Amino acid sequence: MSVSRLSPSVSRPHEEQASPAVQSRIGIRDVTLSYGALQIIGGISLDIAPGETVSIIGPSGCGKTTLLRMLAGLARPTTGEIVLDGQPVSGPSRSVAIVFQDYGKALLPWRTAAGNVSLALEARGCPARERPEIIRDLLAKIGLSRHADKYPSEMSGGMQQRLQIARCLAQEPKVLLMDEPFGALDAMTRQALQDEVLALTAATGATMVFVTHDLEEAIYLGDRIVCLQPNPGRIGRIVDVRLPKPRDQLLTREDPEFLRLRRDLYDLIKDDHQ
Amino acid sequence: MNRLSFRKLALGVLTLVLFILGWKLVTDARLISPIFFPGPERTYAALVKGLSGGPLLAQTVETVERMLYGWLLASAVGVLLGALIGISRRARAFIAPTLELLRPLPASAMIPVAIAFLGFSDQMVLVVIAFGALWPMLLATIHGFAAMEPRLYEVSAVLGLSRFQVIWKLALPSAMPMILASLRLGLTISLVLAVVGEMLASRAGLGQSILAASRSFRSADLFAGIVILGAIGLCGSRLLSMAERRLLRWQAVHR
Repeated sequence: MSVSRLSPSVSRPHEEQASPAVQSRIGIRDVTLSYGALQIIGGISLDIAPGETVSIIGPSGCGKTTLLRMLAGLARPTTGEIVLDGQPVSGPSRSVAIVFQDYGKALLPWRTAAGNVSLALEARGCPARERPEIIRDLLAKIGLSRHADKYPSEMSGGMQQRLQIARCLAQEPKVLLMDEPFGALDAMTRQALQDEVLALTAATGATMVFVTHDLEEAIYLGDRIVCLQPNPGRIGRIVDVRLPKPRDQLLTREDPEFLRLRRDLYDLIKDDHQ
Repeated sequence: MNRLSFRKLALGVLTLVLFILGWKLVTDARLISPIFFPGPERTYAALVKGLSGGPLLAQTVETVERMLYGWLLASAVGVLLGALIGISRRARAFIAPTLELLRPLPASAMIPVAIAFLGFSDQMVLVVIAFGALWPMLLATIHGFAAMEPRLYEVSAVLGLSRFQVIWKLALPSAMPMILASLRLGLTISLVLAVVGEMLASRAGLGQSILAASRSFRSADLFAGIVILGAIGLCGSRLLSMAERRLLRWQAVHR
């Protein structure tokens, strides 16, 4: 397998092949999760189409991150099941990549940027002589070409998070899970990364599930927004985002539809807090 | 930065000079009988004489060799065993209590046991050194492996790294700072036990030579041996520090 799977020309036929029965890339079927007597997730069902970007928002403690961890195979549902391309998810796999919020802990501090990307290639048995070229391509794609030999401790937060995304792309995933990835970054870096991630998913046809606290970020990135409610975590509402693509930091955010969505979601979240 | 380290070095040397000067003052004033306490000049003379043509050079080599072999043996066993125990939570639960019981045993108390099994031999001294120096490395490796960032286990699961890859590429490098610090501690212990072993089992080396000098009131020779032991300790620790800085380049920014 090579990086070519990330190009749109290759990924599109894949989508068309899917029969109507298994058209969803991710299927969440009546999923609950309890720790002892405490129910964290109380029955969630959701289908996510190939290439779709779903934003997940909700007050803290509503199980956003838990849901994402179950999608990644890092946590098992107590009842119900999660299906990827028709196959039940029983554990972590290379086809589902996850970008953690705490990039500082998720990167290997003793490896350079190139070395960190290389880890994903080593894991999938990519021959050593093919690695440098793939690493170069990926770092270029995410704007880190000039920093290939830097250690994470020498990089800014934004650069480290870019690096984590590059390593996830090296997995050649079908699904990209993002757990509040830009929560710790400043506003400008945040917006730049939002646009980069949108461009990447558009180019690769990857499906994305994006957990965030930030309503505007959820609207800006999402094709759909899933609002979770707490105690136990369940779906409160699903909102379709009908904003033109590609999105633009100024035009999209000034669009009346954007402002209307923001008002709606704000009211919704506020109600949950009361 | 360079000026600062130069100043630090200058201050360090100044302190050393003051120390030697104080030593000279004490001996010149004859506060302690020169039979037991030689001045720096006599010690230096004994050092030069012992190293050029005297037996001191051969004895130094003997002791350094003993120390290094024991240390290498302890390092290999400690890191390997520590990795095996540290990587598995179950192994830690099984073995940790036993280790806690064995660890505080003074290695010198093991010498009679070692003598009973191996007699007054070089192997006996080697085993005692390795046993004593093993603990810091074993425990540091176990703790280093156990303290790996949990997030990295999740990353390795998602990337699909094999168990061997997790040990070799994640756990070992992340335990490296602790392991390297323990290697330095282990070297100091090795030197101590090499000297004690030589004294008790009367094997050739600085330990034996110091003991002999003390018994025949050759205080200058005694002090010459001690100075060499200090130098060995200093050089070993310095060399390992340099290796540490090189291997842990990635940490440089934090420091």
